[in-house]
Amino acid sequence: MVRTYVFPGLLALAVFSGLLHLSTQFEIVRAPMGALFLAFALAGPVAAYLAARLLPAGAWTRLGLALFAAGMAAGFWIPPALDWLPLAGVFLAYAGSRARLPERDAAAFWGWVFVWPALALMLIWNIFPSFFALWISLFDRFNYIGESRFVGLLNYEILWRDPLFWRALSNTFWYVVLTVPTGILLGTVVAVLLNERIRGLGLYRTIYFLPYITALTAAAAVWQWIYHPEFGFLNWLLGTPGLDWLHTPDGIFALALAPLGIQLSGFWAGPSVAFTAIMIMTVWHFLGYNVVILLAGLQSIPAQYYEAAELDGAGWWQMQLYVTWPLLSPTTFFLAIIGLIGAFQVFTQVYVMTPTGGVLNDTLTVAMYLYNKGFRDSDFSYASALAVTMFVIILALTLVQRRVLERRVTYEH
Amino acid sequence: MNTRLRHLLGRVIIYALLSAGAVVMAFPFYWMIATSVKSPQEAQQAAPIWFPERIQPANWRTAWRLGAQGDRPWWGGFAPGRTVTLRLRVEDPDAGPLRARVPKPPAVFSDPRSESTRIRIEAANGGWEIVLENTGTQRFTTLPLVVWIPKDAGKFRAELPPDAVRSQRGFWRLEWVNVTPGLFGYLFHNYREAWHAAPFARYFFVSFFTAGTQVLGGLLIATMAAFAFARIRFPGREAVFLLFVATMMIPGEVLLIPNYILLAKLDWLDTFYALIVPWLASVFGLFLLRQFFLSLPQDLFDAARIDGASYWGMLWRIAFPLAVPGLVTYGIFAFLGAYNALLWPLIVTQSPEMRTIQVGLQAFIGEAGSDYGQLMAASTMAILPIVLGYFFAQRHFIQGIARSGIK
Repeated sequence: MVRTYVFPGLLALAVFSGLLHLSTQFEIVRAPMGALFLAFALAGPVAAYLAARLLPAGAWTRLGLALFAAGMAAGFWIPPALDWLPLAGVFLAYAGSRARLPERDAAAFWGWVFVWPALALMLIWNIFPSFFALWISLFDRFNYIGESRFVGLLNYEILWRDPLFWRALSNTFWYVVLTVPTGILLGTVVAVLLNERIRGLGLYRTIYFLPYITALTAAAAVWQWIYHPEFGFLNWLLGTPGLDWLHTPDGIFALALAPLGIQLSGFWAGPSVAFTAIMIMTVWHFLGYNVVILLAGLQSIPAQYYEAAELDGAGWWQMQLYVTWPLLSPTTFFLAIIGLIGAFQVFTQVYVMTPTGGVLNDTLTVAMYLYNKGFRDSDFSYASALAVTMFVIILALTLVQRRVLERRVTYEH
Repeated sequence: MNTRLRHLLGRVIIYALLSAGAVVMAFPFYWMIATSVKSPQEAQQAAPIWFPERIQPANWRTAWRLGAQGDRPWWGGFAPGRTVTLRLRVEDPDAGPLRARVPKPPAVFSDPRSESTRIRIEAANGGWEIVLENTGTQRFTTLPLVVWIPKDAGKFRAELPPDAVRSQRGFWRLEWVNVTPGLFGYLFHNYREAWHAAPFARYFFVSFFTAGTQVLGGLLIATMAAFAFARIRFPGREAVFLLFVATMMIPGEVLLIPNYILLAKLDWLDTFYALIVPWLASVFGLFLLRQFFLSLPQDLFDAARIDGASYWGMLWRIAFPLAVPGLVTYGIFAFLGAYNALLWPLIVTQSPEMRTIQVGLQAFIGEAGSDYGQLMAASTMAILPIVLGYFFAQRHFIQGIARSGIK
């Protein structure tokens, strides 16, 4: 039983000592490194000794374990290029004792060998950075240029009072609230129509899907040209020469209700005309994705439901309303979650179409504000605080969405 | 009868709606391509020009002839000793002679192109012939030309439509960006200009290399991990899997700053490592392939086990070949993601040599200013590889997306 853990343990030790070695090269973590190294240097030979007692002994196994112990013990003093030595030792030890190992031990060894590359990359580039972001958000303007000190939650406090953050958040809010449902609704309409056994399904699907695979950068450039105030196609189409779509900061709700004598301002004025223009472009870009997913969802609804509904005398509309819509709800739900997470991180099209965040920051999104703070103003701490806040918001919204929507989702067919 | 009529009407409405939607979806592409073959003056019209001069076959013939006279029929050019003749019809040839000049670029002291081009203007029936001769020893890729026609001469028609016509006191000033274009040189003028205006070849290389390596490396890593999760019972499997699931909740924005710092500390900024390594392990790919491996029958692996295959052998000899559809799906996704990404390459690269095509295009948007023809040509070039791939392997794209949605 204990023996099953021998190889995973040795592998983990070898990989972690390599990672530790790497991290010292770059002074990323200012932890008591010496103690950690000593611990690894001692753990290596101890583990090798224990392994030698547990494993079926053979000359190659002993040699491999010796190599592992030596590599681990040398730890701090060997060049990082030799970090593979302990790993090679583990492989050698395995090869030496393979013939006499039970199936379970072999599975433990190979399972971990296969998982380690992915796991190590995840640890380095996803898991560790997440905590690191949380950590540097507690500092005062941490950027490796000037001095920085620990300030606790000060950045979050500033964030709470930062009008630009609220501006970015309300913009992003409108963006999510308007683009995600619109995309799903339009996508459902198109998918339902495409599902009506029509001719030329392939052609329609190709056309609807095409925008999704084109790069957002190029697509945004094209739409910027369509929205051009003087020579843009849209102004010609609508007969509104000179209307500068991407530089009009007035909120659309305020504009729509102004003729009725209702004055709206701030958040309730809604997204600006410029931002709405960007949203239209976004819906165009992502519609094909929704259509393809919804079409697949529609095609998985068994035909007998429709037959039964037809027998009961249901018309086309009733069938869509009482059969299609509920049975499609898992797909819709999936798209809503995916759309919410994606929409909250909107950056590319906004950055290309309004590089400065628009007039009066009317197209500033949270991701763009983060980019500006981090990479224009070199304030890594504040940007990290933004990122962490964003993470919390997305997580909360996803959970709320799950609770609220999932009750209405019909999973059984 | 009534039901049949209603059915027919329903069909008509369906097709009408779908077609209208399709027109809206496809229009930006048409507009991009149409603009990419427009001269600046054509692009900057109050009313849109649906069929620019450069896509009209009648003009192609002239472009071909002029290119052949200058040097090569496809790509044109102006070789030493060659003579090119451009015909111009005017309503009233007696109104006075034309003037023609090869314009110098602004603020240059000497311009060999205008100095070694001898221009003769000869009367021909119903108009004029502008004869251009390269008297120098140098070959030029393009030959711009400006011609002034007196306004008294009435209506005029040039054999090759001018790229711009302006009014200048008593004259019409006709401008050609290239009178020895050749067919492709004419049609793809903006593309050629854009291609030379920024190092697009390098951008493409960076993008393809980045995306290709990410796909191959990602496939290798994800396949191994997915196989372990699906087919090997090893201690700690559930815990590690949970960890992977948990990382899916982390939005990419959280990782921007710490990963940037990490790359800076590694001295990897502005290198291929920065573009590739952080994206090698993909939870999406892992889940997708795991799903595939789980759907394979266990008997297959039992049989291999009895035959003495190791896990390594089972992975590459049995599971890998059977998971090809999943691998293709993941490959397409990873390639699309890497090729179309803007934010990450924007952050981790500084020098033009390390720009991916999207960053290059984004920079070009800033630099090209109001030359929308070139801008749209660059955009078309940027999406072309993916669109071609899409038409080539459409089934895989669509099935892949559909597969990602159904869990």
